[in-house]
Amino acid sequence: MGSTPKHSREPLEFRPKPPDASASGSAPEPEEPPREGDDVQAYRELRELILAPEQEAIERLHQRVDNPASRTEDVGSVVAEAIQLRRRQGGDEDLSSALSPTIETALRESVRKDPGTLADALFPVMGPAIRRSILETLRAFLESFNQVLDQSLSMKGLKWRIEALRTGRSFTEVALLHSLIFRVEQVFLIHKKTGLSLGHAVAPSVAMQDPSLVSGMLSAIQDFVRDSFHTVQGQGLNRMNVGDLDVWIEEGPYAILACVIRGVAPRTLRDRMAEVLENIHRDYSEQLDHFAGDSAPFAKVNSELGRCLELRYKEEAQPRGFGFVYATAAILSLVVAGWLAWHTMQYRRWERLVNAFREQPGFVITSFGRQGGHFVVRGLHDPLAADPEKIISASDVKRADGEFHWGGYYALDDPIVQQRAISLLSPPPTVTLAVKNGVLQVSGAARAAWVKELQAKAQLVPGIRSLQLSPELDPERLAFSQAKSEIEITLVKFPLASASLLPSEQGALHRLAEEAQALLKAADALHENVTFEVLGHTDSTGPEVSNQNLSQRRAERVVQELSQLGVPERSLSPRGVGTSEPLRREDSEANRQYNRCVNIHITSVTH
Amino acid sequence: MLQKKICMLGSFAVGKTSLVRRFVESIYSDVYQTTVGVKVDKKNVQVNGTDLTLVLWDIYGEDDYQKMHWTYLRGASGYLLVADGTRKATIDKAFSLEQRVREEVGVIPFVFVINKCDLSQDWEVDSALQAQLTEKNWNLLRSSAKTGEGVEEAFALLTRKILG
Repeated sequence: MGSTPKHSREPLEFRPKPPDASASGSAPEPEEPPREGDDVQAYRELRELILAPEQEAIERLHQRVDNPASRTEDVGSVVAEAIQLRRRQGGDEDLSSALSPTIETALRESVRKDPGTLADALFPVMGPAIRRSILETLRAFLESFNQVLDQSLSMKGLKWRIEALRTGRSFTEVALLHSLIFRVEQVFLIHKKTGLSLGHAVAPSVAMQDPSLVSGMLSAIQDFVRDSFHTVQGQGLNRMNVGDLDVWIEEGPYAILACVIRGVAPRTLRDRMAEVLENIHRDYSEQLDHFAGDSAPFAKVNSELGRCLELRYKEEAQPRGFGFVYATAAILSLVVAGWLAWHTMQYRRWERLVNAFREQPGFVITSFGRQGGHFVVRGLHDPLAADPEKIISASDVKRADGEFHWGGYYALDDPIVQQRAISLLSPPPTVTLAVKNGVLQVSGAARAAWVKELQAKAQLVPGIRSLQLSPELDPERLAFSQAKSEIEITLVKFPLASASLLPSEQGALHRLAEEAQALLKAADALHENVTFEVLGHTDSTGPEVSNQNLSQRRAERVVQELSQLGVPERSLSPRGVGTSEPLRREDSEANRQYNRCVNIHITSVTH
Repeated sequence: MLQKKICMLGSFAVGKTSLVRRFVESIYSDVYQTTVGVKVDKKNVQVNGTDLTLVLWDIYGEDDYQKMHWTYLRGASGYLLVADGTRKATIDKAFSLEQRVREEVGVIPFVFVINKCDLSQDWEVDSALQAQLTEKNWNLLRSSAKTGEGVEEAFALLTRKILG
C-alpha cells in the first residue's frame, strides 16, 4: 500500500525511471493524472517512444513470473546451489528444521506407499547394526556362561550341583543365579501417603542420596505414573531401569519399599523385598497408620531393611581361614584315601589266599574276616591234602598278619579219595587205581585173592561209592587162568618103559583133579567149553611103535585116575604122542627121564 | 527426626521455585517440574527449639498447557500459597487454589505469600484486596526471592502453624 503514492508522483516530475527499477515499471497506466487534450496525446507518444523496450522487457518478466512452469525451471536450476550456499553461511540448524517436517512426511508417505523401497535402502545399514547388537549380547552371555563352566568343575560347582538336587532346579539355573553379579546399593522405606522417608539402608561405600528427597521424588513419580495412566488402585510403578541401575519398588498398604540395584538381580530379591515389607507392616502397623512425620518409632526398621542388602551373589574373596580348612581337609582325605587303599590291598591279598584254599582239594573254608586288625581263617583240612603252611608261604600275605584254625575231615574230592584208596587197599605194583566221581577204577594184573579182598574192602573207603574192575581182573577169569596155568605146568612122571603110576605121583594127580574141577567151574561161569587134552610122552629109547603104544597107555592111565578123582570123563581126551613132542631135548639122562611123563594141554571154546 | 511434607502452590511463574532455591537442599533439576510436574526439595528449620525437616513439594503451577496433579498434595501437612504482586490474576488464582485444596485434601495450614516485593512499585495489590484478605482472615506475607526478604519468615510461620 505504501508504494502507491510513490508511483503517482513519478510521472508528475517527468523523470524516467532507470531501466532496472522494474517494480515501478509495472505500475498500471490508468493511474496517470488527467491532462489537457494535446498534452495527453503528446505525453503518450513520448512515453511510448522512450519506454517501449522496457515495457516489453517488463512484459516478458511478468509472463515468466506468472508462469509456474518457468518459475519451477528457474528455482530448479539453482536449488542445489542455494542449499549449499546456505550451509556455507552456517545456517544448518534453520535449514534442518525447515526441511525436517517435509522429509519426515516424505518418509512416512514412502513407507505408506511401499515399505519395501525404504527397507531396501536401509538394508545395508540395518544388517550390520543388528549383527553387532546380537554379537554384543552373545558375547556378554558367553562370558557369563564361561564363568559358569569354569566353576562347574570346582568345589563351588559341586556345591551348586547339590543345591540343584536339593531344590529340584536345573544346575544351569542355580549356577546362573550364583554367577549373577549384582548389588543392592540402597533401600528406601517410604510412607505411602506423605512420601516421607521412614528408613534408609545403604551398602558400604555407596554414594548416599538424601533419603528425604529421594523418597519424596520416588513417591511423586509413582503418583505421576498412576495419574497419567489411570492405573487401578494398588497398582503402580514397580520397576525403573536406567543402564545397569535398577530400582525395584514393592508397595504395601501403608509403605513403599524401594531397592536401588546395580547389575542383574534374581527374582529371589523380589521375594525378599515382599517379605521385609510384610514384616514391617506387621511390626509397625499402628505407627504407619498414624504417621505424622515423626520417624523416631521407626528407628529400628533399618536393620530389617538391611536384609535386602544382604542378598547379593557377587562373590567376595574367601576368608583365609577357609583356605586352611580346605587344605587340612584335603590332606586328611588324602591320608584316609591312602590308608583305605593300603587296607583294601591287604584285604585283597588275603582274599586271594582264601580263594586259593577254596580251589585246593581237601580244604573247606568256613569263615574269613578281620578280628582286631588280624585276619582269621577257619576251615576243614583233609590230612591227605596239601600242607596248608606251604600254600601260605607261597602266597604274598604276611603270615604274622593272620591265624588259621583247621578241623579234620574226609574230603570227597577224587584226587584225595584216590590217595585214600591207595593207602588203605595197598594194591600190588601191577595194579592201577583211579577214582572218578566216586567210582574206583582198578586195572592191571593181580591175584584173585587180592581182587577178592579189594571187592570186600573198597566200599569201606570214604568217598568210594562203587568199584569198577577192568575185564582182566574179573574173578572167574582170574580163577580160570590161574587153574589153567597150574594144570599146564604139572607133570605126572612114569618109570622107564611102564604105564604104572608111581605112588609119588599121587600128590600131583590130586592137585590136577582139584585144579581141573575149579577150572571147569570158572569155565562154566564164563560160558566156555573146556577140553583137557591129556598128552602121553616117552623117551627116545626103544622102537618107535612101542613108544607110541606106551605113551597112549600112559595117557589113558592118567585119564582113568582123574576120572576116578571126580573130573568128568567127557572133558578128558587121552592122546599118545610117543617121542614126537618131547618136553626137553634128550641130551642127558635127567632130561630123558623128564620126557617119560604125561602133561595136560587145555583148549577152550566159548559157547 | 520430625519430617513434614509441605507443598508450594501458585500460578505459573509467580516465583515459587526462585523463592525456595536459595534456601533449600536440592538434588533435582528444575526440569522435573515441567516433566513430572513436581520437584522435591528439603529445608531444615528450627522452630521453638524443635528441629524439623520440611520436605518441599514444589508443584508446577497450573497453566494452559499442563494441569496440576492434585495427588501430589496428598499427605501434605501444609502449604505455601504464592502469588505474584505484579499480576493480579495470580492473586485471584491463589484464592481459587486455596478453595480447591480444601475440597481435595481438607483444611490444612498454609501461608499466603505475595512475591516480588522488590517490584512493589509495580504491584497491583490494592485496598480492595487488602479488605478481601482481612475478610478471609489470611495472613499476608510479602517476600522477595531476589533479596531474600520474607522467605525465612514464611517458612517459620508455616512451621509454627503446622506444629500448632
